[in-house]
Amino acid sequence: MRGNFVSVRLPLLLFGFVAVCPHAEVVILPADVVLNHQGAQHQLLVEQRTGANWEGDLTVRAQFQSSDPQIASVDEHGTLWANGNGTATITATVEGQSATATVEVKGIDAPYHASFRNDIEPLLFRMGCSTGACHGAAAGKNGFKLSLRGFDIEWDHKVLTRQANGRRVSLVEPEESLMLLKPTMQVPHEGGKRFEKDSETYRILLDWIQNGAPAAPEEERRLKAIRVLPESVTLGAGAEQQILVQAHYTDGTYSDATRRTKFGTTDESVAVVDEGGKVAVKGPGAVSVTAWYSGRVATARLTVPRPQNVAPDVYRTAKSNNYIDELVLRQLRRLQIAPAGEATDREFIRRAYLDAIGILPTLEETTAFLADSAPAKRAKLIDQLLERPEYTDYWAYKWSDLLLLSSKNIPRREELSAFYRYIRESVAQNKPWDQFVREILTATGSTLENGAANYFVMHKETVDLTETTSQAFLGMSITCARCHNHPLEKWTQDDYFGMANLFARVKLKNGRRGNDTEVLVDDFGDVIHPRLGKPVPPRPLDGETMEPNAPEDRREHLARWLTAPENPYFTRAVVNRVWRNFMGRGLVEPEDDLRLTNPALNEELMQALCDDLVEHQYDLKHLIRRIMNSATYQRSSRPADTAAPDDKHYSQYLVRRLSAEVLLDAYSQVTGVPTEFAGYPAGFRALQLPDSQIGSYFLSAFGRPARIQTCSCERTDDSNVAQTLHVANGDTLNGKLRHEKSFLAQFAEGDSNDDAVVETLFVRAVARPPSPAETQAVVTVLTAIPREGDTWKADRRQALEDLAWAVLTGKEFIFNH
Amino acid sequence: MVRVDARRPVHFCDGLTRRDFLHVGSLAALGVTLPSLFQLKAAGAVKKDVNCIFLFLVGGPSQLDTFDMKPDAPAEIRGPYKPIKTNCPDIQISEIFPNLAKHADKFSIIRTLHHKAAGVHDTGHQMMQTGRLFQNGMEHPHAGCVVSFLRGSHDGMPPHVLMPRPIGNTGGNMPHGQNAGFLGKSHDPFILNEEPDKPDFKVPDLLPPDYMSAVRIDRRRKLRDLVDQSVQQMEATPDARLLDENFQQAYTLMSSANAREGFDLSSEPAVLREAYGMNKFGQSCLLARRLLERGVRFATINMFETVFNEITWDIHGSAPFSPIECYQDLVGPMLDHGLSTLLEDLSQRGMLETTLIVAMGEFGRTPKINPAGGRDHWPQVWSVLMAGGGIQGGRVVGKTDDIAAYPVERPVTPAEVVATAYHCLGIDLETELPGPANRPIPIVDYGVKPILELV
Repeated sequence: MRGNFVSVRLPLLLFGFVAVCPHAEVVILPADVVLNHQGAQHQLLVEQRTGANWEGDLTVRAQFQSSDPQIASVDEHGTLWANGNGTATITATVEGQSATATVEVKGIDAPYHASFRNDIEPLLFRMGCSTGACHGAAAGKNGFKLSLRGFDIEWDHKVLTRQANGRRVSLVEPEESLMLLKPTMQVPHEGGKRFEKDSETYRILLDWIQNGAPAAPEEERRLKAIRVLPESVTLGAGAEQQILVQAHYTDGTYSDATRRTKFGTTDESVAVVDEGGKVAVKGPGAVSVTAWYSGRVATARLTVPRPQNVAPDVYRTAKSNNYIDELVLRQLRRLQIAPAGEATDREFIRRAYLDAIGILPTLEETTAFLADSAPAKRAKLIDQLLERPEYTDYWAYKWSDLLLLSSKNIPRREELSAFYRYIRESVAQNKPWDQFVREILTATGSTLENGAANYFVMHKETVDLTETTSQAFLGMSITCARCHNHPLEKWTQDDYFGMANLFARVKLKNGRRGNDTEVLVDDFGDVIHPRLGKPVPPRPLDGETMEPNAPEDRREHLARWLTAPENPYFTRAVVNRVWRNFMGRGLVEPEDDLRLTNPALNEELMQALCDDLVEHQYDLKHLIRRIMNSATYQRSSRPADTAAPDDKHYSQYLVRRLSAEVLLDAYSQVTGVPTEFAGYPAGFRALQLPDSQIGSYFLSAFGRPARIQTCSCERTDDSNVAQTLHVANGDTLNGKLRHEKSFLAQFAEGDSNDDAVVETLFVRAVARPPSPAETQAVVTVLTAIPREGDTWKADRRQALEDLAWAVLTGKEFIFNH
Repeated sequence: MVRVDARRPVHFCDGLTRRDFLHVGSLAALGVTLPSLFQLKAAGAVKKDVNCIFLFLVGGPSQLDTFDMKPDAPAEIRGPYKPIKTNCPDIQISEIFPNLAKHADKFSIIRTLHHKAAGVHDTGHQMMQTGRLFQNGMEHPHAGCVVSFLRGSHDGMPPHVLMPRPIGNTGGNMPHGQNAGFLGKSHDPFILNEEPDKPDFKVPDLLPPDYMSAVRIDRRRKLRDLVDQSVQQMEATPDARLLDENFQQAYTLMSSANAREGFDLSSEPAVLREAYGMNKFGQSCLLARRLLERGVRFATINMFETVFNEITWDIHGSAPFSPIECYQDLVGPMLDHGLSTLLEDLSQRGMLETTLIVAMGEFGRTPKINPAGGRDHWPQVWSVLMAGGGIQGGRVVGKTDDIAAYPVERPVTPAEVVATAYHCLGIDLETELPGPANRPIPIVDYGVKPILELV
């Protein structure tokens, strides 16, 4: 007997042709299957494999045979059926090559009935019934409300079986149940047709109703994990690959959950996936297919190499300084992207200064570095940079962005300064990141004596603290869960308010100095969960519940959970931010969107960097040194393959615009005319400003973040026309060039040799001598000015300004490369 | 089928491949000799010269307090406002719009917009302006950016202007569908970034300073081109190309009399300026008219930039959001004056026939007034207003139930509104755009049709 379930055939789509290579073997996935009950089934995949690499789906071209169909039969699509207890061997043959899998069938005598927990709820989600747009909405839909994505299994069972006068589930006439009639459109359903009457879904639901629509028994097996097969596969252009999903339960059993899983891909330009889990390749690249089943997410990694073959020697001989390079090169090799060559010393020194400390190297520094013949001079330079005072400016600025330092958020200047000073000092002593975060989250006392305490002046509401803390230190937005369960993540509203309750007892009062605030912790008070109308016990997201009346500051409990090395997000969040600073692209993008469904493009590298940072006690300078010393960071920005540059896998240094503050400071540095900031001493650089509210059209136009909401999206590094108009017509750059103390003043006299003038100007601005063509063009301009009359000096000065303008607005200057 | 493509030879429905016939990617770069609109028309993508104004009513206006009144519903449903008659006997709108009521013959109301995504602002922003929800890493282009891509610039003006500023934080931390997405940043709108109601309003740095002669500008430009030759390899990066395009656009704008005049609101009569309303929204509407007269093809106006700590359509009734009373006190009159004056002004100038106006929010609001006296998010139904550009006035599309909670007749999706806009602008709905990895992406999903009752 085939049991109650009938498979829906996987759609036969056009298959990209995967030739079975002579070196490859053919393998069945999974190689061992246990079927546990009557009617159990499992899909098999036939895959090509070379060594440890999975190389494509041959299932549609395979012929299947069972050694004993009385035990297990297999159809032409590779779907396996349990028929009788025992063990059988399945053989798949593709073009003369064959592979086998073992199947064990047991429990065939025990009829299997659909379980509300393990079968019905996942189906209600998969069909869209329990999503936020339909009956999972807070208000339900047309009087029928399910819990969002089935998080409240008892509620769902009750509303299905008890409400609406028992019409939703009719035990007397199962086929007349509204939950079958409506979604099949046998009676009108606003949500439209969700499945067909002859579908597997229909049969599962019907089976459950016919069996008495039982609730979920407490002792029933629970979902423990989900697993995808294959976990990683390399595919060619046009190929297709079925992804299988297994649900593994607490009793050690598992089942094929593919048809109840929701799928998605992280990059549709590489591959798309259909509802049944079939992936179709669209172009070269790396992509993750996310499988989402019953609140669990698993990802399958797909690699689609570029069509051209890169000689293996390219990877063997590419420079490799540490594990970063090994892991990057490994991925480049998988993708058949050739790494760029090494950056020159001149390129390296400029980028190292800009990325690590936010300023340009001076002419003298560049000259000295170029002249140094020590083999380890790059490592030496990196060490020196990390000890410079500008290192503190740059990273204190970065963490001030993250922590939203602004007089809008902290109106009292003394308090803002105290917070900024705290951040600066932490950077200056290279305070371990976990300690820094712990100190902020548990800060108490006067906001002037303990600058970190201003975090609680800025964020007074518990919801604000909850959301900001998650976004800043976990790279994760949980805002959605404030009003309803998070639609993209596992966080529920209960998780959210458990977390919020950890901040419930923070209190503020006026400080003793009159211009400060005192942050203290009370021993009473709770945050009320809006839906329940009462507090939920304090608990950090998926951490351990805290005894509500424990004497300990609840924030200590939070900070311990948050900064624990086991917390999957904490380390990733800071690693990703630091990595992006140097590499121009986060391992996860956007930088602070670390969803389970948004995995890193190079997960091994992410993991290795995290392990490294944990092993080195969250020493950020160590992480920075590791990154900057890698050959990956030191690659040229000229791609090896200019026709198809890669911007995702770190085969080259990514060209990018200087940030607003760095560019403005660079203009000040080169022209010798500092920018004036109202209320700050002369010579203050933009990167030294503690407050994002200091007015500067230049900084706003070039994308300085407003520091209103913790989000990497606040800063923009894109170019736009407003910026271009400003450098062309505005008074920032023009003002500096025209300034009487501008570096151009030294040349205006006209007694200097024009060739030398041009050379000095170029070297100062872009750290290189001009090309002969450039010299000639400029000298022509200069000599064309008649050296007579009253205006020639002024004319010459203008010409020099125009030349300097051209250099300072050119790509070579505006971009880091 | 028409396929317009920036990076490859263009394939047309006749099967021919015309190499280098059209490189529409360069269209947005102002000042470049354009493959003219004429050629595009020949290719079939753009059939008429209709321009467009999107008025984005950020926050989500309540259908029950604006264009879908339910006077017979219980007090906690119908809310504080009464319906008034309009110059079309069958249409009633809220009393907060006394001026709009005189122009109902010029516009039509769609009362059955709805969407099924999460009921947060950002999703509605995406769908209403691009026709799609952003999923699987795909950022779809704003309709104005599609127009920019397909039609290019005209008379030295940017094809698509967004004013005064892009939508910022509305809580969801998602893109708002106001840029060019997969079409590339060179088709992003020109962003005004200034408040047009400021007394000294001007586009920052639009004009060269006095000391900058035309000779010097030219010299700077040539020297810059020369210096840039040393880093030609950077042309491979989109960001570097974008910078060049921005310089080109800036030069074109600087020397464009159209731009200078278009952005000069001070030459408008004070009476007219006041009729539009001396606020960001009203003056943006006026500015949009001036710009469209001078070659801009698409104007997007954000009535607000956020929903936090600002009075907007987002009337939850509690801080940091807005109270329902603001519809009468501030927000309603702003729309009433701005839009009614725009309709009248365009009509008097004979521009209404060639100017499509869409006034829309991102969702509706809960039929039942909440305990704070406000209304919360309700994507199940809301009203959108369309006028001009070939839209028939005085019509109502769709019908909601007794409490304006759900559509009961003719439900309309955001994609249909966007499709209607393309249709009015003469853009073939089967046009395909170059998506990621050069995958052709139709401008609207296959099968989405314009709202035929209106065109």
